[in-house]
Amino acid sequence: MGNNIRNFAIVTSYYFKNYYRSKSFYLMLIISLLVSCLMTYFSLRYINSMSQLFPRLNFSGIGNETKEMIFGYLWSFVLLDLPVFAAVFFGSSAVSSEIENKTAFHIFPLPIGRGNLLISKYIAAVAVTVITVMVYVFVQAAVFVYLFNGLLITAFFQSVGLLMIFIFSIMAFTFLISSIFNKNTYAYITVFLIYFLVFNASGIIIEFLYKSNPFYLLNISAQIIDKVYINISASPFSNSFSLAPAGMGEIIRSVAVMIIYGVISISTALIIFDQKEVK
Amino acid sequence: MPSVELEHVSKNYGQIQALKDVSLNLSEPSCIGILGPNGAGKTTLLKILTNIVKPSSGKAMVNGRNPSHEPEKALTDVGALVEQPEFYPYLTARELLTFVARIKGISRSNAEDEIKRVSGLTSITSYLDRKAGTFSRGMKQRLSLASAMIGDPEILILDEPTFGLDPKGMKETRDLIRKLNSERKRIIILSTHLINEAQEICDRIVIMNEGIIAYDTMNSRDEAGIRIEVSALPDHLEIPDRLAVDYRIDGKMIILRKNLNATNSEIIEHLQNLGLKINWVVPQNDIENIYVSIVS
Repeated sequence: MGNNIRNFAIVTSYYFKNYYRSKSFYLMLIISLLVSCLMTYFSLRYINSMSQLFPRLNFSGIGNETKEMIFGYLWSFVLLDLPVFAAVFFGSSAVSSEIENKTAFHIFPLPIGRGNLLISKYIAAVAVTVITVMVYVFVQAAVFVYLFNGLLITAFFQSVGLLMIFIFSIMAFTFLISSIFNKNTYAYITVFLIYFLVFNASGIIIEFLYKSNPFYLLNISAQIIDKVYINISASPFSNSFSLAPAGMGEIIRSVAVMIIYGVISISTALIIFDQKEVK
Repeated sequence: MPSVELEHVSKNYGQIQALKDVSLNLSEPSCIGILGPNGAGKTTLLKILTNIVKPSSGKAMVNGRNPSHEPEKALTDVGALVEQPEFYPYLTARELLTFVARIKGISRSNAEDEIKRVSGLTSITSYLDRKAGTFSRGMKQRLSLASAMIGDPEILILDEPTFGLDPKGMKETRDLIRKLNSERKRIIILSTHLINEAQEICDRIVIMNEGIIAYDTMNSRDEAGIRIEVSALPDHLEIPDRLAVDYRIDGKMIILRKNLNATNSEIIEHLQNLGLKINWVVPQNDIENIYVSIVS
């Protein structure tokens, strides 16, 4: 057990090094910085003219806290795509590359279990994703402190906490897809299609046909990250709108969905990776 | 004592049967050379021993443990270079070797000495701080060899270790394997296409063809040994001492050690007089001819 934990820490640290020195890491960092700069400009530009943003709403006499909730929602809404991009960059080829790039010939003969290797790589991928995404979160915090003289502690930390769960979950799901393929290209394309087409299309179709909220889809459950500011539905078929944050029931349900996705995905990925052969 | 054991191991890749009921037992420190054409099953056999693929049936054991089920225990004392491995491109050679050393249970402080030792043996000392992604094929091969030797393992599994090396590198690698074998403390399994490489280095030679072990012999450097294949053997065969000091029969093969005063012609003439039809005669150490006759 002690040896396993020791080896797990060693492998994770080396995978982490390999990730943070990669071009993908710097590209993600640049994207994160760029988006946070755009959001900073957006916030400074519209902080005193919110009626231009939402012409139908009456913002006269609106409190600082509500303003911060609205901007918190907008920042988090944009933030949602960053873990998805990070998962594509760091997770899509995580398993398939071991086969296609032949690194498996080096690591499989080592005295370490495959499960240990996969979990180590998963934790390393989550860690680099957290770093890149936290750049955006820190800029958000700094901008909010500047604009609103402080942070809405509860909503902000709830949102960040949920973001962490989403990162664990989406990375696990990406590792699962990656473990199915032996070619990086197939893994990249499938991950991209699932996140940007299948999930979105399924959400819209279910909502349109069955008039029900498909909360069990990963992308829908992840919307809780912005809903802790304002419980607004981004769906074109939904009439629900409220400036109140999401309730605890909705938060727990979303967390449960994300955890279920994460646990099932990484467990399945472990089984597939354990049976993987390099012909 | 190191040990490698394969019992009736078969391996299928879909419809293709890469290994067919292969059994092999290695329990003494020595070097075994595995020869065979492409697709003979050499690399599949090594992959099974190193947890890269799992056998479809049969049992593979390394040091008494199954590498597929207990890699942590079975592969602790194993160093392997299988096919032409690649490395994580953003890690330096030193980091990669440290990574292997640490997984093999070598402490951080001892790992540095171990890296110094193996990098010296494989002539990569001056490249240790370069990222593996910038290495040439030959340098990667040297790095693989260094990685395999970390921890001075009891079992070394080397799949075409001289592949991609320049002539100097090939010679250095062969000398190194020969030296490791001369220490008589480890099992070295060397898969190669180069017959003379196996003959030069190994104590035992196995020729694989179409997924089976077609030939398995001690690598005789004895000039007096010859092998004679005949069409059919009589019930009783006797070769007088004046012709052969020792002989045995293996299928249609007569394997004998000549009397120093006898010539091949005299032996052949004697056998023909006994009514035997002789197919071919090769020196016992003429692996090349045996190899050609098997694969063709």
